[in-house]
Amino acid sequence: MPEETRPDVGNESERDPITGSSLSFPYMISAVLLMASLGWALYDEYYATRPWKDYQHRFVAVYSSWLKKNLPKQDSAEKAVKNSDTYKKLQAALDAADKAAGPDFDRINKELALLATRKSVVDDWFQSRRGELGAKVYDMENAGSQSSHDSQAAAIQKFKDEILTKTVPLENGQGEEKLSYNYDQMEKEYNRLKDRKNDLLSQQAALLRPSSEARKRRDDYMADQLVGLTRQQMQGLIDKMDHFDFDIKQINVPEGNLVDRCESCHVGTREPVVLTRRDVGPLSKDGKSGVEDGSRAFTTHPNLELLKIHNPDRFGCSPCHGGNGRATSSVEKAHGKNEHWLYPMYSPANREAGCNQCHSSDLVVRLAPTLSGGKELFRWRGCMGCHRMEGFDAEPERLFNITQQIKALETDKADAFRNASRMEKQADSMSGNAAAKMNQTAQNMRVSMSRVDSRIEELDTESKNLLQELKKVGPSLKEVRMKLRKEWIPVWIENPQHFRPGAKMPTFRLEPDEVKAISAFIWQSGVQGPMDNATGGDPAHGKDLFETRGCMACHSMGEDADKVGGYFAANLTREGEKTNINYLVRWIHNPRQRTLPYSPTLHRDITPADYQAKNMPFVFDLDHTKSPVDGHEMQVEQQTIMPNLRLNMGEVRDIAAYLMTKKRPDAETAKIYKDASYMDDPKLKAQGLKLVRNYGCAGCHEIAGMEDESRIGTELTNEGSKPIERLDFALLTRDAEDGVEVLGPNKGKDVAPWYSQKGFFERKLAEPNLFDQGKTKTHLEQLKMPNFNLDKTDIRQLTTFLLGSVDPTMPPSFFYKPADQRHDIQEGWWIIKKYNCQGCHVVEIGQHSILMDLPKYQDPDWKEQLPPMITNEGARVSPDWLVRFLKNPSLAAGHGEAENDKDGVRSYLKVRMPTFYLSDNEVRKLVRFFAAVSYQPEPYIQAKVEPLTPAEQAMARALFTSKEAPCLKCHATGVPAHDAKATAPNFLLAKERLKPGWTDRWLLNPALISPGTSMPSGLFKREGDRWVFNGQTPPSFNGYTGDHAELLVRYMFTLTPDEQRRLVGAGGGGGTR
Amino acid sequence: METSMNWKKLLGLPLVFFALIVLAVGCSKKETEKAEDNPDDEDNTEAAAANAPAVAVDMANGATVTGKITFTGAKPTLNKIQMDAEPSCAAMHNNIPSQEVVINDNGTLRYVMVYVKDGLNGKSYKPIEQKENLDQKGCLYEPHVIGLVNSEELDISNDDKTTHNIHPQPKINREWNESQSSGDVKKKEFTQSEWPPIPVKCNIHPWMKMYIGVFNHPFFAVSGADGTFTIKGLPPGTYTIAAWQEKYGEQTQKVTVKSKEETKVDFNFKG
Repeated sequence: MPEETRPDVGNESERDPITGSSLSFPYMISAVLLMASLGWALYDEYYATRPWKDYQHRFVAVYSSWLKKNLPKQDSAEKAVKNSDTYKKLQAALDAADKAAGPDFDRINKELALLATRKSVVDDWFQSRRGELGAKVYDMENAGSQSSHDSQAAAIQKFKDEILTKTVPLENGQGEEKLSYNYDQMEKEYNRLKDRKNDLLSQQAALLRPSSEARKRRDDYMADQLVGLTRQQMQGLIDKMDHFDFDIKQINVPEGNLVDRCESCHVGTREPVVLTRRDVGPLSKDGKSGVEDGSRAFTTHPNLELLKIHNPDRFGCSPCHGGNGRATSSVEKAHGKNEHWLYPMYSPANREAGCNQCHSSDLVVRLAPTLSGGKELFRWRGCMGCHRMEGFDAEPERLFNITQQIKALETDKADAFRNASRMEKQADSMSGNAAAKMNQTAQNMRVSMSRVDSRIEELDTESKNLLQELKKVGPSLKEVRMKLRKEWIPVWIENPQHFRPGAKMPTFRLEPDEVKAISAFIWQSGVQGPMDNATGGDPAHGKDLFETRGCMACHSMGEDADKVGGYFAANLTREGEKTNINYLVRWIHNPRQRTLPYSPTLHRDITPADYQAKNMPFVFDLDHTKSPVDGHEMQVEQQTIMPNLRLNMGEVRDIAAYLMTKKRPDAETAKIYKDASYMDDPKLKAQGLKLVRNYGCAGCHEIAGMEDESRIGTELTNEGSKPIERLDFALLTRDAEDGVEVLGPNKGKDVAPWYSQKGFFERKLAEPNLFDQGKTKTHLEQLKMPNFNLDKTDIRQLTTFLLGSVDPTMPPSFFYKPADQRHDIQEGWWIIKKYNCQGCHVVEIGQHSILMDLPKYQDPDWKEQLPPMITNEGARVSPDWLVRFLKNPSLAAGHGEAENDKDGVRSYLKVRMPTFYLSDNEVRKLVRFFAAVSYQPEPYIQAKVEPLTPAEQAMARALFTSKEAPCLKCHATGVPAHDAKATAPNFLLAKERLKPGWTDRWLLNPALISPGTSMPSGLFKREGDRWVFNGQTPPSFNGYTGDHAELLVRYMFTLTPDEQRRLVGAGGGGGTR
Repeated sequence: METSMNWKKLLGLPLVFFALIVLAVGCSKKETEKAEDNPDDEDNTEAAAANAPAVAVDMANGATVTGKITFTGAKPTLNKIQMDAEPSCAAMHNNIPSQEVVINDNGTLRYVMVYVKDGLNGKSYKPIEQKENLDQKGCLYEPHVIGLVNSEELDISNDDKTTHNIHPQPKINREWNESQSSGDVKKKEFTQSEWPPIPVKCNIHPWMKMYIGVFNHPFFAVSGADGTFTIKGLPPGTYTIAAWQEKYGEQTQKVTVKSKEETKVDFNFKG
């Protein structure tokens, strides 16, 4: 400091308020406040804002007490297992093995130890020598001259010959010996010791094998017998709880930018026991646990299978459950239920919505029945008729794209040819190399266009496929004039539910005038065509056929409590009121038959006149799909799912006659169906067209002139991500926010606030025009979505699907888009569900078909009449054969009606596998699906079946025809009288149809593959390492050492028609009936 | 001293502010836990129905119910069984009526299962006899109707010179379908009581059918060749007795029985 100011210091300091007056008091207050707030901060940090700490303390207490309580239980269970004879036997075996191995094991151990002492000395000795040698060799290799090289080589030889002496311990441990070795001798001894050690080690391993196997058998038995953990494992958990780390439990997946701290409170999620809420309720005063709210946080994950395939360390929690995985300060925040958090946790009722983000390509998500149900409903009820949803009903878009591509390619081609000609002309005016070059370019251009031809051909095939795959949810309205009773149409349109409760078609809110106009439009736009007179069927026989041919796998009959049959297609209780019998016969005979083909390129129906103009016969079917006008593919089928059952005309007429009897009494129907002559009024038609367009009827129906209409609804692909502000709650926003119910029995009452996606979807689905409430709109301005009459389950399923239809938040690597066979399974399900294969077949293990639950099939005799289970179809049949069968299940060679009027494999079944006219694409997908489900490799190469020796042939024949082997009693033989009562397929089919490995497994234990099958198990018994026939074998089998089941398989796979006739002739239970 | 004063001077005020901030934060209201949506994952609190140990039947002091099953009305026309497909059986009998309804010579009905349908209050009882036999003879089941107590042993034998398969099709018990060659004996059991009776059939000889009723008590009987039945050892009380015939269905009667006394209960089925 400067001198001058110094004298002032004293005076100034007296006046300085800092030094002059005491600030002790404020300081003290500040200090106290500081300390208090520090304490508070610490308290807040460690207790108040960390509720998870409390959770963890509670969990540790409650879980420890649960473990301690259950320890004795598990202990005694474990003791019980240990006291069981089997366990004792296994333990004795283990002890014996240990004992047997013991002396040798100890001896070898000792030997090894002694060997080691010698080995270590020799190893050091030799290895240092080897090092020196290596250095010398290196020098020699890098020698500058030949002479130095030679001299060094000599030195090396000398080095190797030099004899060294070393004292090493003896291998038997008794003293030492002096070794005088040159280098090679040293190396030999070194290698000998090394080999000896390896030898002893492998001896030891061989010695231990019996005991380690015995130990594994014992432990496996314990694991099988003991439900839950062993005492040791339980004790481990208790110890873990005793040393519990109280900290944030966090899953961090950088790839998904995911930090989930859910397990900080949900501590028990991954415990290796099953903890229910009852187990982990909070502790009461007496130390016992009991159910109380909050205990839910501590349960283990309720679906361990799900967790197993979605390892939380990779997938976290929030990608499936929603919520805010990072938040730890309150339950509300962690669950994302605070305001403005975009992804609140899915409510329990819709929790499967979380699966869809990654599983959007799956129609069937195996462990998510609610979501799968929603997807199926979405398609089955035809939501995609109005709303685009990625993955659903993609055929029209693809067809459009392909048509565009073909057009573009054709233009390219024309351009290329034009250019090529121009170049050639230029070349003509050139000379020499330049001309040659130009000509070559022109030629290349032409040749490359020949490739384009094959591409166009491929696209044409694909468009043919697509036209075949294209289906509509509702029937074609072009055919109404031929098909329907005129007066029925307005009755149906007004409210389909009145005519047929549970109808697939939704209820539109139409004014009477609108009904009239729409009816008139539909009626007048219908086509006309010839129909055969088809009366005279036998209704009683028709009823029998209807109930046995398989119609009821899709259709139901009877109303309310009397309703029996499938849900997939219409209830036919009043069919007789609406249909023209001639059309009905045509329909049942082949539902895909159209009156006129439709050309998507010309956008109109092709008429007989078009054919006549080209002098072509009026023939169009799947073999004649090209338009006579422009040569492009036409729609030659009705776009219905209903397949062709290949019934003969007699049966068709009987079924039609039966269906025509299904109606209410005439006196009653006379009142329902009133005069509808207005439907011929042309003025109404124009009005109707406008309405049909307004209500989007063409989304589900084929309508003349409206084949290319686009969807009228909003796209729903990312509907679950739509911000809440963009869902129009209209005048009900307040009610939604305040939690006032506006629907159902609780209307007007206070409920939980429903201003959420879930609340919106649920109410919109229940009452689609709900949000018009209180609004001033004209009738046509009102919300158009019709009422689908959904029940609570439907709404829950659809809401789950909609909530799950989100704009993905996870990176694509998380999506379930497998590149292996699992992809085939994904694709296959779309076809399986599309055609309702599960109406007749068990496709998935544990699934019930519609047929098997019908009252008729509860009778043991009718159970034999059920279509086969196909859970293992890919392993059972050859894919090539399956392709043929799916294309034509009659397996008939020609198109004749009589030869196709049967089932190609199970001709004895009353129920008929129909022809679905699947596209090649669909057939391929199905065959691949079955192969993938059964883990079959692609492509299939049939295993070679060893031909039988004459002796084996005679043996197999003898067994087949013996009284003991009942094969031919049930299996068809081609003898009509016998086959009438057969209950199993003809063996002649085996060669082309079956896979030998499967056939062998089937013979040994059919119930394992198809529970409930008529084929008995226990036909073979194990004898040594082979299967032998379980019964008296013919004498020729004496001395045969082969596998009997395998012999029969080989016999079946080489069976010829001649051989079969011989069998039947020999009285193998066959033709004598 | 002075330096420390300076330190205080520098840090005092910010610290006070900090304290105030901490205070403010600390004051912010704690988030309270809120109840979740309605859970649909309620634990299944119902313990599995306690499998109380089976009670032994007191034969000495129990009541007896006995009676006769009569048949009136038109006799049914029964399908004829053609056994031509199995010559060894056809040689024993062929073209015989199906056993769907068996009318005894004295006009009574055979193979009617009579059992205590109600009144035992859920108690389960040990079987009186330890095993039952089912024979396959001449391609017919003998007997045609069997009652079993659950877990009671059933011995199945094949006296025929041909292979049969036995295929019970239960709804509750485990289904099986095993082939059985001539002379073999199988030991089987059904662990759960099951009613209506389990249909059993031979797929190889489709006319072969029989029924097995499985109960959790031994108070049942099948009417014999004279149309009578006897149920013994029943604890005193009021019971619903049911009689079941495969074609004509089930009838019930309510009776009260007393210790060591015999009570008569007759049933009549009409054709």
